Amino acid sequence: RKTNKSFPVPTTPCTATGWGQRAGKEQELLKWNGWGYNDSKFIFNKKGQAEFTGKRYRLGGMVLPTFKEWIEKTFGASLEHKTTSRASLNVNDVPPSIVNEEFLQDLRATKISYSQDAEDRVFRAHGHCLHEIFVLREGMFKRIPDIVVWPVCHEDVVKIVELACKHNLCIIPFGGGTSVSSALECPEEEKRTIVSLDTSQMNRILWIDEKNLTACVEAGIVGQDLEKQLAESGFCTGHEPDSMEFSSLGGWVATRASGMKKNIYGNIEDLVIHIKMVTPRGIVEKNCQVPRMSTGPDIHHFIMGSEGTLGVVTEVTIKIRPVPEYQKYGSVVFPNFERGVACLREVAKQRCAPASIRLVDNAQFQFGHALKPQVASIFTSFLDGLKKFYITKFKGFDPNILCVATLLFEGDREKVLQHEKQVYDIATKFGGLAAGEDNGQRGYMLTFVIAYLRDLGLDYYVIGESFETSVPWDRVLDLCRNVKERIVRECKEKGVQFAPLSTCRVTQTYDAGACVYFYFAFNYRGISDPIHVYEQIERAAREEILANGGSLSHHHGVGKLRKRWMKESISDVGLGMLRSVKEYVDPNNIFGNKNLL
Amino acid sequence: MKCYTPVIYKGLSPCKPNAIKSAVLQSEQVQYVIKQLAKEMGESPDIIQEEATEILDEMGHRMQLGAVRFFAFTLSKIFKQLFQRVCVNEEGMQRLQHAIQEHPVVLLPSHRSYVDFLMLSYLLYTYDLALPVIAAGIDFLGMKIVGELLRRAGAFFMRRSFGGNRLYWAVFAEYVKTMLRSGYAPIEFFLEGTRSRTAKTLTPKFGLLSIVMEPFFKREVFDTYLVPISISYERILEESLYAYELLGVPKPKESTSGLLKARRILSDNFGTIHIYVGQPVSLRTLASGRINRCPYNLVPRHLPQKPSEDIQEFVSDVAYKMELLQIENMVLSPWVLVAAVLLQNLPAMEFELLIEKTLWLKGLTQTFGGFIEWPDNLCAKKAVLSGLTLHSNIASLVDGHVVLNDKGMEDGAVGEMVFRHALAVLMCATYRNQLLNVFVRPALVAIALQMAPSFRKEEVYSCFNFLRDVFSDEFIFFPGISLKDFEEGCFLLTKCDAIQTSQQEIYPTDKGSGTVSFLSAMFRPFVEGYQLIFRYLSKEMKEAFTEKQFIPGVRNFVFQLLEKGSTQCYEALSSDMQKNALSALVQLGAVKKKKMPSGFTYNVNQEAVSKILDMFDDSADAIPEHNEFLFPEYEILIEPEEPEFPADSTDDEQGAEDTSKGAKEQEELGAAGTADEAFQSLDEETLEAMAKHETEEEKIFQMFKKQVAAEPEQIIRYCRGGEGPLWVSGENRPEEKDIPNCVCGAKRIFEFQIMPQLLNHLQVDSLGESIDWGTLVVYTCADSCGGGSEYLEEFIWKQDYSMGCTL
Repeated sequence: RKTNKSFPVPTTPCTATGWGQRAGKEQELLKWNGWGYNDSKFIFNKKGQAEFTGKRYRLGGMVLPTFKEWIEKTFGASLEHKTTSRASLNVNDVPPSIVNEEFLQDLRATKISYSQDAEDRVFRAHGHCLHEIFVLREGMFKRIPDIVVWPVCHEDVVKIVELACKHNLCIIPFGGGTSVSSALECPEEEKRTIVSLDTSQMNRILWIDEKNLTACVEAGIVGQDLEKQLAESGFCTGHEPDSMEFSSLGGWVATRASGMKKNIYGNIEDLVIHIKMVTPRGIVEKNCQVPRMSTGPDIHHFIMGSEGTLGVVTEVTIKIRPVPEYQKYGSVVFPNFERGVACLREVAKQRCAPASIRLVDNAQFQFGHALKPQVASIFTSFLDGLKKFYITKFKGFDPNILCVATLLFEGDREKVLQHEKQVYDIATKFGGLAAGEDNGQRGYMLTFVIAYLRDLGLDYYVIGESFETSVPWDRVLDLCRNVKERIVRECKEKGVQFAPLSTCRVTQTYDAGACVYFYFAFNYRGISDPIHVYEQIERAAREEILANGGSLSHHHGVGKLRKRWMKESISDVGLGMLRSVKEYVDPNNIFGNKNLL
Repeated sequence: MKCYTPVIYKGLSPCKPNAIKSAVLQSEQVQYVIKQLAKEMGESPDIIQEEATEILDEMGHRMQLGAVRFFAFTLSKIFKQLFQRVCVNEEGMQRLQHAIQEHPVVLLPSHRSYVDFLMLSYLLYTYDLALPVIAAGIDFLGMKIVGELLRRAGAFFMRRSFGGNRLYWAVFAEYVKTMLRSGYAPIEFFLEGTRSRTAKTLTPKFGLLSIVMEPFFKREVFDTYLVPISISYERILEESLYAYELLGVPKPKESTSGLLKARRILSDNFGTIHIYVGQPVSLRTLASGRINRCPYNLVPRHLPQKPSEDIQEFVSDVAYKMELLQIENMVLSPWVLVAAVLLQNLPAMEFELLIEKTLWLKGLTQTFGGFIEWPDNLCAKKAVLSGLTLHSNIASLVDGHVVLNDKGMEDGAVGEMVFRHALAVLMCATYRNQLLNVFVRPALVAIALQMAPSFRKEEVYSCFNFLRDVFSDEFIFFPGISLKDFEEGCFLLTKCDAIQTSQQEIYPTDKGSGTVSFLSAMFRPFVEGYQLIFRYLSKEMKEAFTEKQFIPGVRNFVFQLLEKGSTQCYEALSSDMQKNALSALVQLGAVKKKKMPSGFTYNVNQEAVSKILDMFDDSADAIPEHNEFLFPEYEILIEPEEPEFPADSTDDEQGAEDTSKGAKEQEELGAAGTADEAFQSLDEETLEAMAKHETEEEKIFQMFKKQVAAEPEQIIRYCRGGEGPLWVSGENRPEEKDIPNCVCGAKRIFEFQIMPQLLNHLQVDSLGESIDWGTLVVYTCADSCGGGSEYLEEFIWKQDYSMGCTL
């Protein structure tokens, strides 16, 4: 049953897969209890060296000689103390599927494929929050969907929503399943049948309009497929969230996603031209596909960030661009984080940010360094040593303080080189030192493999998570310092034996502020209820962010994880406005995932 | 020379004082204000920038290690000369050392003397800790060389008031915050704002505190440590200076020559200094759950912004909390106890009794949580004696009695005598005052018990609450938690067995009457003093006035009363008490404070002040539920009469009888009592003179008087079958045959008599109109017949002062 291709194959479009049969085959490529592909993971080989398996990533098959030492030093973890996950799902533990026979009959009549299989249902009962993965490894969810349906087109969705209204069911839309806000968790107290509406079969590009540079795409398509298929016609969207291998277009819209290269292409709200959404009230759409209109508040903004509480996004018209001619990574070393932030601020001020510019703090720099593969030749090793010597000794950078900005340029070759010079010139003014393409590229790789690393950590009593916020420029430094310190402090107070990894990067720049991304992990040996402790610390960190003038979320969304702060974030009246929209669009709470409000 | 390598803040980026100055001038905060002012005044920003530079130069410190070393060297010489010992809690210094490395630190010492900050800097230097930068009053700058030296030792100077000057405020605030944020050095300032002339903690000032807290509110620092430090002196360097100042003799301006004169002091001995460095308090911990909203999120942080009410309230709470911590950790010397006892037993007190009482007070103070420095093996006599030696300028031992040193009492005008006595009392009070904030909660409960019309908890509490409001500027109370204070007071009184509480009631115990009366006597100067001041305001101040007019006015008023002898409350002369009383009235809304271009003016609301006075006076009248049909209600307290009455225990007796009333009346009774006593002594002399002409009649009355004098408030004398009644007159005394036998045939014997004082209490003493008697003597059956519950007829004999008749 296992297919082993380098990329998951997009399922052939719109052929109804007879009722009663499973359609979502790509889940077989993916881990059932962790992140990403089955064949890709970190392991410790026989020599005790870290290694990344599989061939999907640049890191695949490489040995990482310094990683073991780093993990031991950073977390006080030891390879001898290992926990192992359950090998496979125990079907007997899974809550039974309770579905009304009348609905099933109606459903069969529509010829939409569905499944009541335990594995299918568990797979769609969660996102990728730490506690969810922990439950998969060691326990079972109290409530999971009763049935999974796979509509293949907009009309199918309309039918399903109608049936749900008719039979009073609860629908939870499911795209890529990469949520990190508990948005996919089923409300425990939900008594109605829960239908997981999996959009993965709605994955066609319906048309491409080269004159207007737009494409109409079904919302279930995952990021990498979208880019690959557009590339065949010489286009791209340029929207690259870190989860783009798995997350879907509809999911991006529903959470107000942000992509790594937003400086060129914009965030999802800048990219979207038109959205079609199916709600219990009917279909929401506009009468035209124009760049901008003044017709009252933009209804797209009710949809973007609605987190599946209003309906299912079925089709999205999105801006496209010609695939860029040239891409170049780069990196700059700064003597300290303060200078680095000042440089990013200046770059943002001059509005000359490259496609991506990120600033990692020292801890994250060392983290990235630990993932450096074994060098191929003595010569590169020598060069590395020389570079290190130059930076630390000659330039007087303290390796325990310095920080690194990673850069990605994109566009015409000439313009890229010009742009590159401009950015490096600014960096020089802030004491920055160009540190090569390789460092830059490795920095970006880290964001793709970090989730795999969490699975490795889980095997060795290390739990961790990432979270993000956006913050005005003048508060970036204070916020970073205070949140990291708060995490360290809370860990100590909660009895965590080893100092945690608490690190951040400024990951996006805007005119008026930045997006900051935190990684936080600790060794939980000696703690009886690590998930509870973890959640307390995460909550404290969020409180700290808010107190420092940061936002509740920049792009992960609210889900159920951050609901408690919504009122504080958007005021009573603001919340009331959102509630009244929900009440009108979905009075019977068919879309009852209880996110956001 | 000592190698000085202090520990520093972990996040410190080292910089010179001048770098800080330029950082301050270039800061967004200061630049913003400069631009604003330039726009408003139509001047060029450069001129204002210039002005800011000048302000900063005037203000800024120039800490130099050389100066510090020089200072340390000189100070160690001077300190050795002046003081016997300096005691520091070592673990406090260690805690401080950790704190300094972790987060920015703010040192908040108590302020009793100039020595405070010199001593503290010296101490930190000695312990190899980062030297603090100190906010000192700009008056020091007048001291030419010393001012400069202080500056080099890390002091920076602030004008005493700069509320109106926005530029000054901006520069100053930014200067302090820059030093704090960078962790450059611990910031030190005095919450009390100025040296407490009374040694009683002053109510806190909030300005500087809110400045140092702001970086945390704005999250520019992760946390800030506030370190309360209690510095107590066995003998305060400026003690007599303070007393003069309180009495209105102007304070000499700080000058170098003044300091040189102060060298005369060097030959004197000032005992021990105790420095207690308190546990560093994390501002973040204090604020958690308090400041939920983020008031600085929606406005750029460099804009000057009036703190929200939430924050103002929080700052005030923190200020009080810090002062209460200072008070808690303040070391009290035995002399403090001696002074407290002595002041209640003026003009003279027997030495042995003083020791006994001091020892008793030591126990009480410890029960109340006071922190007394009293070596384990030191006997009480030695402790008191060494106190007397150290404070020989205040009190001395003469013929086995301890007296205040108010020399010149015999000669000189009455005014001079009053002044000298007041001086002595105030100096002595400086030491007693150190106890007050430890005692204030239980003491106010004790006074409330006496004031309240009944023992019902609500009534006692409402009196307590009233007192707490009136004295809110006099003593330190954490804002708003009146009930908690009350409960704490009750708890402490219960702990020392002075009161008992039930669900609804609080009542004094027999055993505790000594404690209760001691406590109320301890605070009597304030109760009486405030009444005098209020009376002055309600009677004399019809027009708007300024504080400058008020102080001399009230001083004269009190002075005259003292001269006339119609009050003994010397402490009401203290300008500190006068100011506090005025500001209490402002807070109670009985006086309106208005800001005028020339300063503040005050307007008295006569009615409101009278009402407040009535609250006190009600306690004297104590007419609970009094109307034309019912007599007022009292509780009768029964005490055995002792055959001998020591002359010097009047105070206690008085107190005991006070509690026996359980009603709000002792104020006037007390006052009446003292007046009576004076009258009485005169009377006795006259009687002595008349002794030759003494008749039988007069002899009996005199005996009556003498017997009653021991307990002047008595209303019933009970002694069944005993000696017989105390007659008021020789006339109309019954003979045996006059007393009929009981119906059962047994003889009737004396059981009790009702005294004429009852008429007084029942307020039926208007001549001619009320019933009247000399005494009523009740005789009952010797066999106590009729065991049932029915009433029996007994026999009463009424004796009048002149003529009698039987009923």
